[in-house]
Amino acid sequence: MAAGVAAWLPFARAAAIGWMPVASAPMPPPPREMRRGQDGLIMLNVSGTRFQTWRNTLERYPDTLLGSTERDFFFHEETNEYFFDRDPDIFRHILNFYRTGKLHYPRHECISAYDEELAFFGIIPEIIGDCCYEEYKDRRRENTERIQDDEENENNNDLVLPELSFRESMWRAFENPHTSTMALVFYYVTGFFIAVSVMANVVETVPCSSGPNRAKEVSCGERYALAFFCLDTACVMIFTVEYLLRLIAAPSRYKFVKSVMSIIDVVAIMPYYIGLVMTDNEDVSGAFVTLRVFRVFRIFKFSRHSAGLRILGYTLKSCASELGFLLFSLTMAIIIFATVMFYAEKGSSATKFTSIPAAFWYTIVTMTTLGYGDMVPKTIMGKIFGSVCSLSGVLVIALPVPVIVSNFSRIYHQSQRAEKRRAQKKTRLARIRATKSGGANAYLQYKRNGMLADAEEEASKEAGQSLVCKINPTFETQHHHLLHCLEKTTGNRLETIPVLLGAGLPEKQPKLQSIWI
Amino acid sequence: MSAPVKRTQWDEDPTLFRKDHGLSKKVLLNCCLVRWIISWASPNKKDSVEDELELSAVRHRPEALELLEAQTRFSRKELQILYRGFKNECPSGVVNEDTFKEIYAQFFPQGDASTYAHFLFNAFDTDHNGSVSFEDFVMGLSILLRGTVQEKLNWAFNLYDINKDGYITKEEMLDIIKSIYDMMGKCTYPILKEETPRQHVEIFFQKMDKNRDGVVTIDEFIDCCQNDENIMRSMQLFENVI
Repeated sequence: MAAGVAAWLPFARAAAIGWMPVASAPMPPPPREMRRGQDGLIMLNVSGTRFQTWRNTLERYPDTLLGSTERDFFFHEETNEYFFDRDPDIFRHILNFYRTGKLHYPRHECISAYDEELAFFGIIPEIIGDCCYEEYKDRRRENTERIQDDEENENNNDLVLPELSFRESMWRAFENPHTSTMALVFYYVTGFFIAVSVMANVVETVPCSSGPNRAKEVSCGERYALAFFCLDTACVMIFTVEYLLRLIAAPSRYKFVKSVMSIIDVVAIMPYYIGLVMTDNEDVSGAFVTLRVFRVFRIFKFSRHSAGLRILGYTLKSCASELGFLLFSLTMAIIIFATVMFYAEKGSSATKFTSIPAAFWYTIVTMTTLGYGDMVPKTIMGKIFGSVCSLSGVLVIALPVPVIVSNFSRIYHQSQRAEKRRAQKKTRLARIRATKSGGANAYLQYKRNGMLADAEEEASKEAGQSLVCKINPTFETQHHHLLHCLEKTTGNRLETIPVLLGAGLPEKQPKLQSIWI
Repeated sequence: MSAPVKRTQWDEDPTLFRKDHGLSKKVLLNCCLVRWIISWASPNKKDSVEDELELSAVRHRPEALELLEAQTRFSRKELQILYRGFKNECPSGVVNEDTFKEIYAQFFPQGDASTYAHFLFNAFDTDHNGSVSFEDFVMGLSILLRGTVQEKLNWAFNLYDINKDGYITKEEMLDIIKSIYDMMGKCTYPILKEETPRQHVEIFFQKMDKNRDGVVTIDEFIDCCQNDENIMRSMQLFENVI
């Protein structure tokens, strides 16, 4: 219960008189009233700034420093006040927590200073209100990451590695090339060979100058066939060795084989082996040529070396739906305009628009504003529709593209934040459950024992690691007595106590999504 | 087009407008169109002003402390404590029915306290203006906590008598009992059956309705309660709440 609602408990108890005449059983005796002294003002001096509040306000949370007898250690007899040598600006928020029941996090404060103050006053950060919780967690995470980065930078200079098995250390070397010089050398060597292999693929198709006695030009690949073959062999040798080493070192071989990078590796080296195996058969040589196209996939091996490529691939994958929609709408527009253009140009003689599929090419070239000019409409209607086609092409393509671009950044940040929020939600639910389970079990315990004095001890034991400051136990016992009266009125017993999510703040409707304990 | 006219003149009768300046129908329509566009673009202007007025009117200041002290049986200090708690929760100074229901529901998370809270609200809202001010609140509490047994029974009768006609009928009682059972929620032992509230009402009427006329009057109610020991004892239960 929020602290403020506890102020209404006397009213709820008084209103219980309305049940008395219809009660089916006599009422239980009221809990023993612990007569605390007169409610007085307490003066809190925090580094010179004076705060004053009622004693009752502070005692709402007896688990904290200010609410318990621990504050007596800070009592200053000469001035008859409690003196704390702490930051008064942050103390303001802490005192507001006692007053309103909600702890806020001021955005301009340093997160570690705030944490220290909370720890000093015995307040758990999990009770920060919903309005400030997200911000608090974000700042905290940034801070811990920054500290971790600093530590890592320090540690990297003096590596004191634990004893890893050879396999584990090899895998680690493959994944993080910066861990050892051997790994770095390997990383650069493979990178170099990927580049060489790709360059060789490109260069061997360039026409080299032919000799004076040759009729036609030959490509460099045919002229220096042996040299290129040796180069290819060397590259494939390196790639094969690398793949096998990764396969051996992988902690989960099955998962490694399924991963995208290993598939790319396999596709990059397969054509060579297939080419070796196949003889110079005329029939299959055509297929063999096609297979050599797959060698270009070696360029994708660079994605291990470039984080940017990986991010691009990931975002393309996650934007698949938007891209799919773009493709779909483009297809629709192409079909519509191709049909229109075909029928518009049907009348004209010697027209290039021989069929609707032929008109597809025109539509695509026009809509993407390429305009090669190999197909142009000749009739007036064709020209009108052609201009409409190019104008709409600009719109259809230009509009979704910024959306997709913004989707990239949104999805990227969102996926990070979604993970964060999911993890936060679990801990917060667990925290709330722990508090409420502490309260509900306390009630059932109280009924079983019929006693009130031990209720608070039992509650704190059963709540286990109580993550949240407990509310005043007097209010707990009075609330339990009220529930007991209700039971006696109706003659039924409460079996389980459901839990309200959202700590029942009076502004919002409490969510009746009860979870049974 | 004529010289630009003041905007206020647009609110006047357009026919007058036309007569004075001899404008053509077409120009008039254009003006109306422009006006319509402007009013469509900023539709909330009038509403927001009204909303603000409504919000500021809801602030309520209670009677002076001395007056309340005279009217209720609370001491000055007790009134101060009560008001502080009240004002903390309801800064505007009044509780409307929804807030009341929310606050009351928090004490009974396992069940649905809204129906009973509704009856309770009507019992506290003695002047029936739809909101419970601090005076209503404190008067009610004064009766409940510091009143004589007669007054408490009177208050309870008032609570049960939903339409405030001086008689409790079986239907009214059934509503009240059902709302109390609702507060218990679903997980009770034994499980709540359909006829349990009805049986409860029958027992109540058998006890209270002396002349068997199907309704319970205030005198029957008070007589019967004063003869019942349990009820008498439970009335004293919450004397020390404040």
